[in-house]
Amino acid sequence: MESQNIKFQFVSADGEARDVEGQIGETVMEVAYATGIKGIAAECGGSMSCGTCHVFLDKASFERIEAPSESELDMLDIVSSDRRPTSRLSCQIKLTPEFVDAEVHIPESQY
Amino acid sequence: MQQVLDPKSIPAGCPMHNAGQNFHPFEHEGMYDFFAEIRADVPVFYSPEIDYWVVTRREDVIAVLRDHDRFSATVATQPVVPWPPEMLQSMIDRGFTNESVQVACDPPRHDRIRTHVQGFLNPKKLLSYDGAVRELVKGYVAQMKGKDEIDLVDALTYELPAKTAFLLLGVTDIDPRRIKQWTELRVKLMHGHPTREEQFAAADDLLDFWNFSCDLVEQRKKVPGDDYPSWLLASRGGDDTRLTENEIKSLVFASLLAAHETTSNASANLLLELLRRPEDWKALVDDPKLIPNAVEEGLRYVSSVVAWRRLAKEDVEIGGVTLPAGSKIILSLASAGRDEATFENGETFDIRRKNARSHVAFGNGLHFCMGAPIARMQMRMMVEELTAAFPNMQLIEDDPVEIVGVLTFRGPTRLPVRLNP
Ligand code: HEM
Ligand code: FES
Repeated sequence: MESQNIKFQFVSADGEARDVEGQIGETVMEVAYATGIKGIAAECGGSMSCGTCHVFLDKASFERIEAPSESELDMLDIVSSDRRPTSRLSCQIKLTPEFVDAEVHIPESQY
Repeated sequence: MQQVLDPKSIPAGCPMHNAGQNFHPFEHEGMYDFFAEIRADVPVFYSPEIDYWVVTRREDVIAVLRDHDRFSATVATQPVVPWPPEMLQSMIDRGFTNESVQVACDPPRHDRIRTHVQGFLNPKKLLSYDGAVRELVKGYVAQMKGKDEIDLVDALTYELPAKTAFLLLGVTDIDPRRIKQWTELRVKLMHGHPTREEQFAAADDLLDFWNFSCDLVEQRKKVPGDDYPSWLLASRGGDDTRLTENEIKSLVFASLLAAHETTSNASANLLLELLRRPEDWKALVDDPKLIPNAVEEGLRYVSSVVAWRRLAKEDVEIGGVTLPAGSKIILSLASAGRDEATFENGETFDIRRKNARSHVAFGNGLHFCMGAPIARMQMRMMVEELTAAFPNMQLIEDDPVEIVGVLTFRGPTRLPVRLNP
């Protein structure tokens, strides 16, 4: 069976948008790495110890998908670029059909 | 996929062959120059001296570290010189039940254990030691005042990280020098090239070190505190399918090495580079806001973990070369840190470098260093307190600074300075 692809968009800090696709269950961080998106260092490969995969979502998508866990919220307290109401760790967002057309904004810096 | 490469078939005279011949894995003198010379032409080469393939470029190093499906970490801390079987047996007979729990484990075991560890060794918890670590650093620096000449390794970088590790472990009753000596021995057994006699001589000490870790866990079972072993015990909740007691003992044993050896070396490496460049020292004295980036540049320019190991689980391609399944691989974190593809003028130490933090000194991927926040904190505070207390500190140039050598770790054993010239 062909696995379902989810289309969404990365927007760089200077406003450049790029459409990407990933499979259900993949994380946003993994899609960024696989497609060569710059600005998501994700040093710890998704094991939630680095806080260098920080992104901002558009408000509607943020509200549509599952809310961040307690430990993700803790990590978001110590990310480098200012935290916003729609801040997420990209390694903790698994692609689901609700994520179609989401805008994933990349902060100025991850450090 | 192209045909796999048999190391014996690499023709003499080709750059890859020459690199293998000229690479001296245990010698740190000249190592950076060696990699600078070959990196552009040789992304990977075979080192016959240790039977490892050596990866030289940052991008390939990161790709291997992130690919835990095809590369196993099980060799990460394996003795380079295997222990004699009778030594191992006698250790086991005497209760040495240490097992791989973190750096040398693959998923799913690795992930199960890391989840427990994460509850304590996470950035937020580690940053909460801010005040206590500052006190420690200030204490060491205060003791240096009034002296003319001092060895910074002896006076600061050697002990301080062990004391910080003790804070995490809730240990108050042991001389940090004891832990340091045990650690050095253990590092030599894993990553060095000890003789058979040295291996046997080290066995008793290693056992003492293991027993110390076990006792610590036993004590916390009776009287829990706010510390790492107590956290692990609570997180285990008496359930072996979550985490076993032996795994906790092994975690404590592991952290008694990981949490200070690397930081001692990294701090001394950083201080050496800063003091070699008096204008940099002065810049940090004048503007302490530059210090965090200087710490990153230190980690990039002279990492304390110069090499880290992986094993190919299947035939793999690295830098256009196909290596057979079972190949043992050394990722040169040292070389990756100077890779010109990422770092312009990579051979230049520049405390203002914009992308200094893109180094791989703490690894990358699922095994990414869990102590990075507190390692960085200690390095930053040491430089902050030293530049504030001794703005004119000078390296005593005529005193040779040795760099000790094992395969993986690098750091000066002495750092003689004049405090108030
Ligand atoms: C400057 C100092 C340090 C350096 C350069 C360093 C470097 C590293 C490296 C290279 C790895 C392996 C990464 C990989 O396999 O991808 C690692 C793993 C690890 N480090 Fe550090 N480290 C430092 C300090 C610390 C401290 C202070 C602690 C504890 C408080 C610590 C705890 C760990 C642990 C627990 C792991 C294993 C993680 C895993 O396998 O999942 N390290 N470190
Ligand atoms: S990749 Fe490290 S926290 Fe997300």
